[in-house]
Amino acid sequence: MTNFQHTSIDNAPSKPSRDKGIIYHLRNVALDRESEGVSFRLNVPSLQIAQGEKIALIGESGCGKSTLLDILAFIGEPSQIGAFRFRPENTGEPIDVASMWDKRKLNQLGELRKRHIGYVMQTGGLLPYLTVRDNMNLSRHVLGMRDDTAIEQLARELGIARHLDKLPETLSTGERQRVAIGRALAHQPSIVIADEPTASVDPFAAEKIMSLFIGLAEDRNITVIVASHAWRHIKRLGLRRLAHHTQRSKDGRTTETVVNG
Amino acid sequence: MRVFKTLKLATRDYKHEWQMSGCFVLALAAVLGPMLVLFGLKFGIVGGMLDQLIEDPANREIRPVGSGRYDRAWLGALRQREDVTFLVPRTRSIAATVQLKSESSSRILNAEVIPSDKGDPLLRSVEAMPDGLRSVVLSQSAASKLAVKPGDRIDGSLVRQFRGKRERVHLELNVAAIAPAAAFNRDGAFADLLLVEALEDFRDGHAVPALDWSGDESTQDRTYPSFRLYARSIYDVAELKEALTRAGVDSRTKVGDIELVMKMDRNLSTIYWAIAIIGLVGFSLSLGASLWANVDRKRKELSVLRLVGFRTGDIVWFPMIQAFYTAILGWALAVGIYQGAALAINDMLSTQLADGQQVCVLLTEHYVAALVVTVVSAVLAAALAGMRSARIAPAEGLREI
Repeated sequence: MTNFQHTSIDNAPSKPSRDKGIIYHLRNVALDRESEGVSFRLNVPSLQIAQGEKIALIGESGCGKSTLLDILAFIGEPSQIGAFRFRPENTGEPIDVASMWDKRKLNQLGELRKRHIGYVMQTGGLLPYLTVRDNMNLSRHVLGMRDDTAIEQLARELGIARHLDKLPETLSTGERQRVAIGRALAHQPSIVIADEPTASVDPFAAEKIMSLFIGLAEDRNITVIVASHAWRHIKRLGLRRLAHHTQRSKDGRTTETVVNG
Repeated sequence: MRVFKTLKLATRDYKHEWQMSGCFVLALAAVLGPMLVLFGLKFGIVGGMLDQLIEDPANREIRPVGSGRYDRAWLGALRQREDVTFLVPRTRSIAATVQLKSESSSRILNAEVIPSDKGDPLLRSVEAMPDGLRSVVLSQSAASKLAVKPGDRIDGSLVRQFRGKRERVHLELNVAAIAPAAAFNRDGAFADLLLVEALEDFRDGHAVPALDWSGDESTQDRTYPSFRLYARSIYDVAELKEALTRAGVDSRTKVGDIELVMKMDRNLSTIYWAIAIIGLVGFSLSLGASLWANVDRKRKELSVLRLVGFRTGDIVWFPMIQAFYTAILGWALAVGIYQGAALAINDMLSTQLADGQQVCVLLTEHYVAALVVTVVSAVLAAALAGMRSARIAPAEGLREI
């Protein structure tokens, strides 16, 4: 008696060649969540992301974008894994993330995340007690990377060089998001994951920040995965839109999102 | 190295949020400060009373009631007891007086003569003891009425009715020292037993060859009607009194006062500990609750740290380091509060207290103990909160504003 309705089915407009090497390889990965009597399931029958790809996850809030990002950043534990391999560098064997979750090697997963992934949060997630420079340096410091001109360079490119020694509270929302992007890029990760990085910024600034972000990632050949609810802001930036569809049962009790790509 | 990074971040956060940190410090000091004052009062008052009891020789004195006939052998045996610190025989009190006159004053003073000896608890602070037939230690009151100082010479005289004739003899006395006011509050002179016996002998009509006083030969062995007896400590008084009673000597002591203070100490301690335990529990709870709430408040920031790669173990340090700062600063402020209060209390009551006596006192070890208790309970509470923060999944705090 379940009556599903389709919200979105879409396919990527541009699909770069997969020869470059696959960073993420997921098969039959699912994550179940339950909150306030509503159960939610994210189902990923198959997903492959190649190095240098720029992926967009578009959809309303609650459709599972963030959950997928959590899985890709090793912070959300899948309830079911067929296969989950991660190969951040072109060389070497792929890392078996599935077995790491299985053996609960959380610190190893943390290590992977810290080394290879930059994360841009919806609200910046800047530490209020650190200056812009120290915030941007945070991920570098954790990795024990030496201070060099990378931060200044990045700040110049992001247009926040004059704010380097200020505290985040003195900056506008847009400027704070630029700092957050800077922090995600500063330690030269292979992948940057951004969860609605421009949601709290006005549309005009959002477009500007997004294109700056994509441009910087492109220059550095960084794989980008962006979640957003507004496709039109990023349509022209040449991102591959990840296909997904959401089914909701008629009573609204269960939601399932299936992502393929 | 990673702990050092956490230390740096936690310190900067603590400084950045100085208003919030200040509130935690104030909250801690508000509980700890009054507790210190309370303990200071309890320690000062009861400690002071106990000190006074122990210090004041009057509390160790055992006075025989009425008069008896004690010979030298019996007194010697009593002096041998371990719990006896000082014993000197007394002559009849009616015979133990002397009239004193000095050149610097016109007054003639009737002074009691108190037998004394080396180790007299009443003359502990006196430099020179009365020695032989020619020296005395004057009570403060006698010395001031005679207007004399140590080293002065005074005239002592006494009168007897002997064979129907009234006789007066004089002897020159050296003022060896002046006794402290607390030792004897009437007009009196501490003297060697020899002199006290000589005064009695003369009054009894006996000859005192050493002073060229004529009279009958004394025939029988000397007995004494009473004695001055001091126990080794206030805790020996009860048993010594008991032993005297068994020997048929009734005596009067300050056992009652001593027991009263010890009982008071016990009662005050009980009350204090009841309050202290309630205070400590409340203190730990409030500290724990505020640290716990703080971790909750910082969920997002802590999850950011998790996201950039801080490990579980590093995150636990974050609230612990901040709790350590709160404990140290709160303690310091509490000590400040205490010292202000103690100063005010001691100042307010200074007129009713002896010199150097204080109502509100803490020793260094009390401050240290307070510091240790505060730091340990704060860091423990923070460790619990820290465990909680370590369990924050990196994703958990990311999406709330």
